[in-house]
Amino acid sequence: MLRGENGAGKSTLLRMIAGLNEPTEGKILIYGTPNTKARHNMGYMAHAPLLYDELSGMENLRFFAQLYSITSDELLARAMERVGLDPKLERRIGQYSQGMRQRLSLARAIFHDPRLLLLDEPFSNVDPDSALQIAQLLADMRSSGTTILLVTHQAGLLAKLADEYVLLSHGQLVSRGPMAEVQQ
Amino acid sequence: MKADAIKAATETPAVNMSFTRLAWINVAKDLRLEWRSRDVFNSMMFFALVVVVVFSFAFERDESKPVMGGLIWVAFLFSTTMALNQSWARELRNGVLDAYRVSPAPAEALFLGKVVGNFILVSLLECLMAPLFVVFYNLTSVGPLWQLILVALLGTWALVVNGTFFAAMSIRTRNRELMLPLLLLPISIPAVLSMVTGTSQVLSGEGSPIVQLKFLAGFCVIFTTACFLLFETVLNAE
Amino acid sequence: MKNKLFLAFAALACLLLAFGTYEALVVAPTEETMGDVQRIFYVHVPAATVGFTMFFVNFIASLLYLWKRSARADALAAASAEVGVVFCSVVLITGPIWARYAWGVWWSAWDMRLNTTLMLWLLYVSYLILRRSSTAGSTSMLASALAVFAFLDVPIVYMANRWFRTHHPAPMIGTPNLDPRMQNILFINMIAFLIFGSLIAWFRYEMERTAQTIDAAHIQRAAGGAVGMMAVPAMFLAAPTHVNPHAYLWGGYLAAWGIYLGYLLFLMAKLGRLKKEAAELGR
Repeated sequence: MLRGENGAGKSTLLRMIAGLNEPTEGKILIYGTPNTKARHNMGYMAHAPLLYDELSGMENLRFFAQLYSITSDELLARAMERVGLDPKLERRIGQYSQGMRQRLSLARAIFHDPRLLLLDEPFSNVDPDSALQIAQLLADMRSSGTTILLVTHQAGLLAKLADEYVLLSHGQLVSRGPMAEVQQ
Repeated sequence: MKADAIKAATETPAVNMSFTRLAWINVAKDLRLEWRSRDVFNSMMFFALVVVVVFSFAFERDESKPVMGGLIWVAFLFSTTMALNQSWARELRNGVLDAYRVSPAPAEALFLGKVVGNFILVSLLECLMAPLFVVFYNLTSVGPLWQLILVALLGTWALVVNGTFFAAMSIRTRNRELMLPLLLLPISIPAVLSMVTGTSQVLSGEGSPIVQLKFLAGFCVIFTTACFLLFETVLNAE
Repeated sequence: MKNKLFLAFAALACLLLAFGTYEALVVAPTEETMGDVQRIFYVHVPAATVGFTMFFVNFIASLLYLWKRSARADALAAASAEVGVVFCSVVLITGPIWARYAWGVWWSAWDMRLNTTLMLWLLYVSYLILRRSSTAGSTSMLASALAVFAFLDVPIVYMANRWFRTHHPAPMIGTPNLDPRMQNILFINMIAFLIFGSLIAWFRYEMERTAQTIDAAHIQRAAGGAVGMMAVPAMFLAAPTHVNPHAYLWGGYLAAWGIYLGYLLFLMAKLGRLKKEAAELGR
């Protein structure tokens, strides 16, 4: 879990790991591979939905899946069900509720079963029930081996689930350690 | 467990999408999006119509014969600029561009898809506008039609490929809509000059446009290469 | 910033410029057909040389930046483009002044060289505008890409002008048969202006480096900048009746030096602001 006050650089750090911003110095390696070469194993979710308003849920996922060389509709349908959406819904996502859009955005980040998941405020604007479901989904993914880097202001939700926390301030790493320390 | 994770993280998927297929997916997606909202095409069409009408008032029919080549292309140039301004707007609206950049798909496929999509759109516009011009100006072509079509194709590609590239550049500037024509027009002056000369030559039958065609072809090759080589840099300039 | 080498070159430039200008205005033989106004040529052609050289430097610096991502390359690209535009503006102003006297027209649509220079001017002004309008982190990359495009366009523009306009008569502001004495004086002036231009570019480069360290994104630019706005007084529109050739000659020289000095003043003002901002940041 990445924590820090506004402007500390949490989103920027996530974006750098995702390969969207270039670091001014140094390189980013994921298990020894440069991050730009490990894209097929990364999932990224941001404030913005990162989806096309005029397409339906499945159409959106199909498009993005093809970018990852995935053509199986089943996989996408399963991803949608995991986040609690109906894959047969033909409605354009521009007419989805905010919570549904967040879920679809998450589906977009996880359908290819990435080893590394980068989430920037996944719980903002989401109702408490959805938030709980998403938290549970994340916990499941964590148990099956996915590393999750999370930025959120709602630490309470994940207090039991997160392993480690990292505290940033003014663009610098201030401290890190096991979650248990945060409770104190 | 750790060894498994490392292995999973570094192996690449067995199936890899071919470049052309990726580009085609982008084109299909753009066309489908455009079909569902039709905002770009409608405004482009209307703008082109307005330009044709204004020109027909501003220039008397007979005296404008020699400058006909120029007029058609000026009208197309304006409409194309309008269309290109919109070309990346959809990607920016919900931050979709980021999702594309995070995926393993190469940036050049996105660019090719965009250029082809824009090319189709602009060509459609030209096909619809050309009859209007013929009607308003009583155009007849003395030279062979295929030359005219070739000039139009090459010229359109030249404009669209540079236009899509500069539109992508303008994304990261303060006054987006203004930057595109500002960057595009100076660079395209040789191509526009060539198109105008070529069109006039075919329409009036004086002189052969072969030189223009060769020039346009060279222009297209050089700048298409430059665009493809530099697109990734421009896309990731953050 | 201003070290001994710079001062030495500045002294040399002043000497050469003074000598070159004296030669051009006094010693050089008067041209038969065009008279004294032809002496603008000694300012016009060197300006073009410096301008094109600067644009070439910009191209190389941009390629370097694309390859190595070096901040110094980017600073050089910015400096050379700006100085190039200044000298290009001088070409575009002295050319028509000369042409108006010599051929009665301000601009000849068929003059290859003037057209090429105008195109270049447009291209590099758009480059400068891109540098100013782009968001902070992306400027260097976008500008380098544009510089490559602009320079690729140069030979294309040249060829376009050659192929598509040659069937029209070309009253070029050219250099037909040159008296060898004129050639020497031209050469001296070219060297003088090259050193002058390089010094300005060097100065501008250092300023850009300073600006980079202060995070130049927040510096307010002066409105108008180095590119002079050309207002067209009514007198320019009237045909020349009682023509005084010297008025045109002095007009040309004044315009050129006015632009150079104006640009230098602009740089001084900018330097003052940079220093103030650096002082505020405590560096």
